[in-house]
This record gives sequence, C-alpha cells and structure tokens, in this order.
Amino acid sequence: MIRLKDFSYRYRGREDFALQSINLEIASGEFTLLTGPSGCGKSTLALAVAGVLFSQFDGEVEGTVAVAGMDVQEKSIYQIADVVGLVQQNPESQFCTLRVEDEIVFGLENRKYTREKIDSLLTWSLEMTGIEHLRGRDLGTLSGGEKQKVALASILASQPEVILFDEPTSNLDPPSTEEIFDVILNLQRETGLTVLVIEHKLDFLSRVKPRIVEMGMGCILEPDRKSYPAPEIKVKNPAFNGSAEHPLLEVERLRVGYQRQSVLKEISFRLERGEWVSLMGDNGSGKSTLLLSLLGLVEKSAGDVWVLGENVDQVPSSTLGKNVGLVFQNPDHQLFASTVWDEAVFGARNFKLEESEFTGFTRSLLERAGLGDRVKEHPYRLSYGEKRRLNLISVLSYKPDVLLLDEIFIGQDRENAEFLLTLLSEFVENGGSVIMVNHNPAYYPEVVSRIFFLAGGKLVVDAPLREAMQDLARIGMDAYLPGGGW
Amino acid sequence: MKRKIAYQAGRSFLHRYHPLVKFAWLVALTVLVFLFQDPFLNASFTVLLLAVFPSAGLKFRELRGVKVLGISALMIALLQVLFVDSGPVMGQLGPVAVTQDGLERGLYLASRFLTVIFLSYLFVLTTSPNELAYALMRAGLPYRFGFTLVTALRLIPLFEQEALTVYRAQLVRGSSYERKNLRHLLRYLRTLLLPMLVSAMSKVDALSVSMEGRCFGRYPTRTYYQKREMTRRDWVAAGGLILVLISAVMVTFWEG
Repeated sequence: MIRLKDFSYRYRGREDFALQSINLEIASGEFTLLTGPSGCGKSTLALAVAGVLFSQFDGEVEGTVAVAGMDVQEKSIYQIADVVGLVQQNPESQFCTLRVEDEIVFGLENRKYTREKIDSLLTWSLEMTGIEHLRGRDLGTLSGGEKQKVALASILASQPEVILFDEPTSNLDPPSTEEIFDVILNLQRETGLTVLVIEHKLDFLSRVKPRIVEMGMGCILEPDRKSYPAPEIKVKNPAFNGSAEHPLLEVERLRVGYQRQSVLKEISFRLERGEWVSLMGDNGSGKSTLLLSLLGLVEKSAGDVWVLGENVDQVPSSTLGKNVGLVFQNPDHQLFASTVWDEAVFGARNFKLEESEFTGFTRSLLERAGLGDRVKEHPYRLSYGEKRRLNLISVLSYKPDVLLLDEIFIGQDRENAEFLLTLLSEFVENGGSVIMVNHNPAYYPEVVSRIFFLAGGKLVVDAPLREAMQDLARIGMDAYLPGGGW
Repeated sequence: MKRKIAYQAGRSFLHRYHPLVKFAWLVALTVLVFLFQDPFLNASFTVLLLAVFPSAGLKFRELRGVKVLGISALMIALLQVLFVDSGPVMGQLGPVAVTQDGLERGLYLASRFLTVIFLSYLFVLTTSPNELAYALMRAGLPYRFGFTLVTALRLIPLFEQEALTVYRAQLVRGSSYERKNLRHLLRYLRTLLLPMLVSAMSKVDALSVSMEGRCFGRYPTRTYYQKREMTRRDWVAAGGLILVLISAVMVTFWEG
C-alpha cells in the first residue's frame, strides 16, 4: 500500500537531510507504529506519504514514494487525498470550521458531493468514531479528546484507504488517550484500513501487537520490530537532607471562578523544601489554573496563597517570579531574546542578579544541554527538544525556590526527558521544590515524592507517592498508573 | 464584567432571521439614515432601536464601551450647538448663542451616529458570523473569501489566548512594563510579537496541510451540506424591507 524507495528529503534552507535513503514497505490493512526520537523525521515521513510535503514545501527530493500504486510526486495533492488522510498532533490547529458537522463534511463539500451522499458519510463517520452525540455542537465547547475524535471523523468521512496519525494523543490526558486508541483500533478492525501511527506512548498500543518501525535521525533503524522494551528512566528519587523554617508554598482554601463556572474549589496544601509533586488530572480539571494562581496570574475568588511567607496578593507576579519559576507548555511562547545566551539569562538579568551569580552556573547548564557552542544562535533555530532544555535552563539560571512546570514532557523523547529530569533532580536535592503537571505515567513514579490529583477543580488526592497510587486505583483512575493500560 | 461586542448565542426574534435578510436591513437602514436628515425622525428611530435591545435578549448596559459611545454622541451634538450660528437664537450658553439650527443639526448628527452604531450592534450581537459566512458563500461569494472569514473567526480567540500566555511567561521571568518610555515599549512589542508570529506560522502550516488534505481548492466551486432555507418570516421581513425602500423612494420623489 505504501512504498518508499531510496527516499531522501531536505527542507529548503537546511543543511542536513530530514530523511535519508528511506526504504519502507507497508502492506494493505497493516497496523504500523512509527517511533523514534524527536526530530528524527517521523512527521516528515508522514507528510511525504500524504503528499503535502511536495505540494506545500519546496525542498530537495530523491527517490520515490508510492501509495496505492500512485507515485505521490506525480499526482496532484487532491488525488492523493482521496486515498490518504492525515490526522495531526493538535486537533485545534487542523480545524477549518467552527462546528462539528461543518468540520466533518468540509472535505466532502470540497469534493462537490451531493447532499445525500454527504449525509450518509457524515452519519457513518460519526458512528465509527462514537461521537453521534456531538453532532450539533460547536467545536469550541469540546474537550481535547472529543476534538481529536472529530478530527479523525473528518478524515474518515472521505473514506481513505490509509490513515496516518501524527502523535494523535500528545495533548490528551490518559483516559482520552485510551479512548482515541480504542477508536483507532476498532476502526482498523472493522474497515481493514491501513493505519500508520507516529507515537511515543508505546505501551498502550503494544497489546495489539503492531508492527513497530523504529527510526533514528533521518533513517530507519529497525523496520520490523515486534515488541519494544518499556523505557527505563535512570533518574532516581532525589533526597534533600536539609530543613527549613517556612514552607515554600502555602495554599489555603483557594477558589478560582464563581459558582457554576468554578475552576478550583477549596484547594489547600503546603509545600516544603525538597518535595517533588506530580500534579495530575483530566484535561480541564484545573491544573494549569492552579499553577497560574500560585503566582497571582489569575484572579482568585477566595482563599490565600503564601510564597515563602509572603501573601501573593501583596506582591506583583513579576517579583514573585524570582522565587517561583514557571515553565509553560509550548516552548515557542517563552522565547523572547535574540540569542540562546540572552534567553538563558533573560530572567536573571531582569531580577537584577549579580553577573557572577549566574554566568558560570548558566554556562555549565548550557554545556550539559549540548548548547554550549550555540549560545550566539537565535533560539528559534533550535530543535523542539533543544528549545525545551533552554526553557528549563532559562528558569534554573536565577535559582528560584519552586519550579512549576506545565506539561513540559509533551513530545519529548526518552533521552530528552531524562536530561530534563536530571536537572530537576539536582534542583530538588539542593532544596528546591517542584510541582509538575504531567500526563505520562512512565516518568513520575521514579522521581516524585507526592501526588496531587485534581478532579472537577477539587484536590481529590494529595498523598505521598505509594499511598497516592493506591488512592488512584481506588477511585478508578488506573489510566494514570504506570502500566494501567499504557 | 462587560460583554464584548461579539455574537451572543440566543433564540430571540432577531437571532432567528436569516443572516442575509438581517444584513440587507442593516445596509438599507444605514443608507436611509443618511438620506433622511430629519432630526426628530432620526432621534425617535434611535430611541426605538434602543428598545429593540431588550427584546432581542440583550442588556444594553452590560455591553463594553457604552459610556464612550454616549460621551461621543454628546460631543458631536455639542460641537454643532457651539459652532452653528444660523437660524433663530434659542438661548445663550456663556458667550455662545445657541441657535435652532445648531440644536437640530446636533440632534440629527448625534442620533445618526448612534443609529448606525446601534444597528451594527444589533446585527453583530445576534448574527453568528459563521452562519453569515456560510450564507454569503451559498449566495455566491467565492468560497475562498468566505473561508478566509471563517478562519479568522477561528484563530482570533486562539491568538488572544496565546498573547495572554506570552505576556504571563514574560511577567514571571521578571519583565516589568511599568517604565513607560518608548524604548521599553518597543522592546516589549518585539518580545511579545515574535513568539506570536512564530506560533502563527506553525498554525498556518498545520492548517494548510489540513485544508489541502481535505481537497480545499480542488474545484472552483463546492457544495454545502448545511441548509438555511428562507422561512416564511424571512420572506415577510424581506418583503417589509422592499416596502420600506419603495416608500422611501416615493417620499423622496414626492418631496422633490
């Protein structure tokens, strides 16, 4: 069904080939999992098979890509689109309309199908993805998982023979991830579609025994793996052996939002030095809002937050930031300077630290991150994983006491995640404290000391690691446990 | 919390009219306000429009910028009162003689200003821009233009959200924008716009992959699944508009 022969591709303006002499054959009806480190060319491969690589980007091509016997480069993108559909990572950025129905019929209207034909395909694809109940809704009102199902339905509606998924669950919480995978598996079983999934989360899919294609940088390492060892994180739970008079953070009966639109309800906790907390909960349970409210970045409706004994209402966020560092989800939203070095010390300079306090330390962090000889480059020239390292370093550089991290492991391969965890582990050993929002159960049990679980704006679990894991199992949140379906 | 001047979902009588019928009324009435320069006719129409707001389920006072609107209307009227010196003198305002012409001119211009604004408010607040775009496309607007509008509607809230995130990210890394000199303002703008631009570019990439991958642009025209037929009350409203226009033409003709 899919055949790549000696295929190489280089984006315009790049020195290195994104893909180099790729040879790959995928049979009709096969379920294939494509995995490999971030930046290795997985997405480029998907774009090539979908044909958009040739219609949208103008780069250097060698070799051939064929789908269903068609040479992808010869045919128009529209002919390819009748056979291949691509579901991208972020459902939000692939929507072309504002309503569920409009979105699903979008491709059918473009093909000038009749109303009757569109009607039956719409009904069919809603059924296949199990979202009949969403039919009349506005896209803006859906949860992340629902959005991704609509994205899938909108591709499915035109009845392609191949569907490619480019990290379809990376923005989703574990229960929604399970649901999406269930839908994909079911679909494949019932329709005999050829499915290619690009994914870092392998454990869950391993139960269907897919063919696993493992990629290295720009090449295929192993075209036909049967199983994949669970990633092992070597970072171990750090221990802080000091003591402190004040807790770093104190939160008392915190509320955000009012009545029916209440986002956080009666949250209370204390955070001491050397604690490492994993903050978990479904999409929309209030995790990001909690982090923001600890820095006074969202208005609270009741309750108090103290940072090192100071009430956050009394201190501007731009001052609190010195003690409480916050790293946001999307690296591109937090790169402001024009060189890697200026970026790394942006905060330290704003907070008026002495040069001697941060230059040596920051330089050594950049060295370890492999960015030592790239300090003069523009931050936007870095790869996704490198940007992520820089984000963390640019906060560590001014030595805050608490780090708040919002999903910084999304889209990071094991090696990168391990590097980030190593830095965090050192931070905790030196008396810092971390609250990290993370969805990936593969990481937290080895490192964190405590778990917060938010549901509907309430802190339903707040306990040391082992105890909390039992609590999670008891309230039916197995999806958040390592191996719980993953 | 004041409400933005944007579509507010609802089921009022105005909400339920066909977007194109409403659009035609908006354009026609706006033109008429400029054609008929009678201050009292216009002022009563403005008051009438104000009364339409509650019946369309809208609370006028809760809208953003209402104060500015009122002040602007007053200023417009005041300027005429102060500077028009023709016609019989009605009274004295300090050193300035207030004339009848000045008062009438002021009333007309202020009410014309408010009428145009109120009409647009009523239209914008009760018409889903998405439905309008689809209705325009079905009525013959080339679909590429229509979807430009739809895409803008989709992306604006996303960009708003992102701008807020970027601002917060800067704040927590110690950027303070209280010093208001030009150099700081420029630096602030640059550090805000660059991340926005980069993220916009990646959105555009993803969106165009998604659109092409679903055959957008394959044919010069496309079909539409959603139907928004003209109902009987839509036809009545359209007929009403035609009557209004005919009588307006007749009145103009009659009056010479």
